[in-house]
Amino acid sequence: MKKILAIFMLGFVLFLAACGTDGDASDPKGEKTASADAESTSDQSENTDEKQVVTFWHSMGGAGQEALNAIVDSYNNSQDKVQVNAEYQGSYDEALTKFNSVAGTDSSPTIIQTFEIGTMSMINSGTILPIQELIDAEGYDMSGLEENIINYYSLDGTFYSMPFNSSTPVMYYNKDAFKAANLDPETPPETFEEVEEASQAIVKANPDMKGFALQAYGWLYEQLLANQGALLLNNDNGRTDTPTEIGWTEEEGKSIFEWVKRMVDDETFANYGTNGDNMVAGFLAGDVAMFLQSSASSREVIDNAPFEVGIAFLPHPEAKKREGVVIGGASLWMIDGKPEEETKAAWDFMKYLQTPEIQAEWHVGTGYFAINPAAYDEELVVEAHEEMPQLKVTVDQLQATTSSFATQGALMDMIPEGRKIIETALEMVYNGGEVDDAYRTAVEQFNTAIEQANAARGN
Amino acid sequence: MSMNSSVIQQIPTSQIEFERAIKKQRVKNFSKGILFLSPSIVLFSVFLFYPLARTIYLSFYLTDATGVTTVFVGWQNYVTMFTSPIFLQSMKSTFLFVLYTVPITIIISLFLAVIANEKLKGIGFFRTIYSSTMGISVAAASVFWLYLFHPSIGPLNLLVKAFGANEIGWLTNPSWALLSISITTIWMNIGFTFLILLGGLQSIDSSLYESADIDGAGYFYQLRRITIPMLSPTLFFVVTVAIINAFQTFGQIDILTQGGPVNSTNLVVYSIYREAFVNYKFGSASAQAVLLFIVILLMTFLQFKFGERKVHYQ
Repeated sequence: MKKILAIFMLGFVLFLAACGTDGDASDPKGEKTASADAESTSDQSENTDEKQVVTFWHSMGGAGQEALNAIVDSYNNSQDKVQVNAEYQGSYDEALTKFNSVAGTDSSPTIIQTFEIGTMSMINSGTILPIQELIDAEGYDMSGLEENIINYYSLDGTFYSMPFNSSTPVMYYNKDAFKAANLDPETPPETFEEVEEASQAIVKANPDMKGFALQAYGWLYEQLLANQGALLLNNDNGRTDTPTEIGWTEEEGKSIFEWVKRMVDDETFANYGTNGDNMVAGFLAGDVAMFLQSSASSREVIDNAPFEVGIAFLPHPEAKKREGVVIGGASLWMIDGKPEEETKAAWDFMKYLQTPEIQAEWHVGTGYFAINPAAYDEELVVEAHEEMPQLKVTVDQLQATTSSFATQGALMDMIPEGRKIIETALEMVYNGGEVDDAYRTAVEQFNTAIEQANAARGN
Repeated sequence: MSMNSSVIQQIPTSQIEFERAIKKQRVKNFSKGILFLSPSIVLFSVFLFYPLARTIYLSFYLTDATGVTTVFVGWQNYVTMFTSPIFLQSMKSTFLFVLYTVPITIIISLFLAVIANEKLKGIGFFRTIYSSTMGISVAAASVFWLYLFHPSIGPLNLLVKAFGANEIGWLTNPSWALLSISITTIWMNIGFTFLILLGGLQSIDSSLYESADIDGAGYFYQLRRITIPMLSPTLFFVVTVAIINAFQTFGQIDILTQGGPVNSTNLVVYSIYREAFVNYKFGSASAQAVLLFIVILLMTFLQFKFGERKVHYQ
C-alpha cells in the first residue's frame, strides 16, 4: 500500500513539474523561439530575426474553416516575418466567453473574430485597440471597402474593428419544385404575399413538400424588420444614443408574425424550430421548397443539393418598399496591451485579408461577400459567378440596399438576449399560438432586457 | 488541619495538570486531524467553497459582460427571478424532467439488472450490451438522437409515418420536446444505473436464496422479500445520484434543443448557462445557481431523512 502511495506521490510531483514547464512554454518568448526553431528547419533564410507570432482566434467551422486556413497559410508563406496561428474557438458566443475570461492576461489572443452584435460589448470592454489608431498612424485608406460595411463598422467616423467576413440573409429555393408547381423558377417571389402564394402552389403540386421554412432565429427577424425600413432599437438603432426601448412599430413588428401565422394555418409552413442544420437537411431532402438563411452557406447548399438551387432577395411585405439588409457576419478586433511588434504584425495580416485577391478567394470559397468590391473584378470571381450566378445575388442585394439607420443595424450589448426572446415568440406562433399573445410578451421582455442592460452599466 | 489543607490544595493542582495534559493531547489530535484533512480542505476551498461564496456575492450585484460587478442591487436579482415567467417555467420543466426520468430509468435498469443477474451461458454479452450506454459521451449520444429526431428524414418520424400517423415534431413541438429529451436521458442513464444495481445484486448472499428455495418460496416472493430489501442501500444511492444528475442536466439540452421550443426544455442549469454566457448577466445567473444549490441540498436532506428509513443495511 505504502509503495503504491509513494508511486502516486511521485507521479503527482512529476505532473506538477510538467505543468510548470508547460506554463513556461506558453510564455510569449518561449513560443517565439519554438516556432522560430520549427521555421529554421524548413527554410534557412539569411534573416536571423525571429518570426513574430500572431494568435488569431476565429469561429469559422466547416467550409469556412477550410477557406480561412488556406488564406492563413498563404499569408504565412507570402512573407517570412510573421507567423499567424489561427485557432478555432467554437461559436462566436463561446469564443467571446473564452476571451472575456482571459482578457487582459498574457493568454489573450492578438486578434479575435467577433460577431456583429458583439460590437458594442467589445467597445465597452476596454480591452481592445480601435484600429482607427493604426489607420491614422499609417494614413491607410479604408475607402476602398464596400460602402455598407463602412457604415456598419464605423461609429462617428471611427473604425473600431476590421471588417472581415460579412454576409446577408437570402432566400434559397428549389428550382425543380418551382417548375413542378408551374411557377417560373427565374422569378422567385419578392414579397410576403408572393411567398404565401408560391407555397400554396408548391404544396398543391406535391403534398409531401412544404412551401416555406423560417428558422426561429432572431437575426432573421432583425433582417426582415430592416428590409421594411423598421428599426430594432430606438435612438436610431442605438447609433445616436443608448437605446431605451424597441424601435419598431406594432404594425412592422407584427407583420412578420402574421405572415408566418397565415402559412402555419395554410399548412404550407415547415417548422424546424431553432435548428438551422435540420432546416438545410430538410431542404436538401426535398421536404421544403424555400427557406431564409445567411448567404454564407450558399456554397455548401449549392454543392450538396441534388437539384438546382435558386437564391433570391429577402422578401418584404407588399405594402412596404424594400429597404435592404443589414450586414451580418463578423469583424476582427485588435487586442490592446500587446507588444508593438506584435500589434504591427497583426495589423499587417488584417490588411492582407482585405486585399482583392484574398477577398475573391474567400467569397468564392464560402458565399460571404467580398468586403473589398475590387474583388469582383478578379478573374476567380468572374468565372465563379458565370458558373454559379447564385453567388452574385448576395452581392446585388447588398448593393441595392438603401443606407439608413435601419440597414446600418442595431448596436447594443443585449441583442443576443433579445434574439432569444424573439425566437421564443416565433416558436409560439409556429406551434399554433396566438400572434397577439406572442407579440406582446416578446415586446415586454425585449423592453425589460434593454432596461436591465442599461441598469447593469450603472445608467 | 495543615495536612488537610495541603490535600485540598494537592487535588486541584494534579487536576489542573491532568486537564492540561488532556488539553495538550486534544490540541495535538486536532492539529494532527487538520494535517490529515488539509489536502482536501485546500482542494475543497479552492474549487468549492470559494466559488460558492463568490456566487453568493455575485448574486447581489449586476455585472458587465466580463463579469465585473457594477451595481449593488441587494435582493433584486432574486425578486426578478421569482417574478420572471421564464424562470418559473424553467423550474417547472426541471421538476417535470426529474419526474419523467428518475423513476423510469430506475425501473428499467432494475428490470435489466434482475434478468442479467441470472446465471446463463453468454450472460456476459448481455451485461456488456446493457451497460454500454455508460461508455457513450453525452455529446455523441445527443448527436445520435438529434438524427433520430430529425423532423423529415429521422428514422423515428419515418416509423411514425409508416404506421400512418402524422409526423411528430419531437424537438420542435413544445408538448413533445421535454418528453423527447427525457427519452434521450433515460437511454443514456440506463447504463450507469444498470451497472450499479447489478453490482448490488451480485453482492447479495446466495445462501439467502438457497434457504428460501428450501422453504419453498416462489421467484416473485424471493424478489420482493429478499432481493429488493437487500438491494435497498444500492437503490437509495442510485435514486439520490439520479435525482441530482437530473437537476444538473445540460449537455443534451444544449445540443438537442437549446432550451426551446418556447422555453419548454429550458432546464435550470441551461438557464443559468444562458444568463451567464449568452446574456452576460452573471448576477441573475448566480442567483439561479444559489437557488439550485438550495433545492438540491433540500432534496438530498429530505431523502436522507425519509428515504433512508426504508433502507436495510446488512
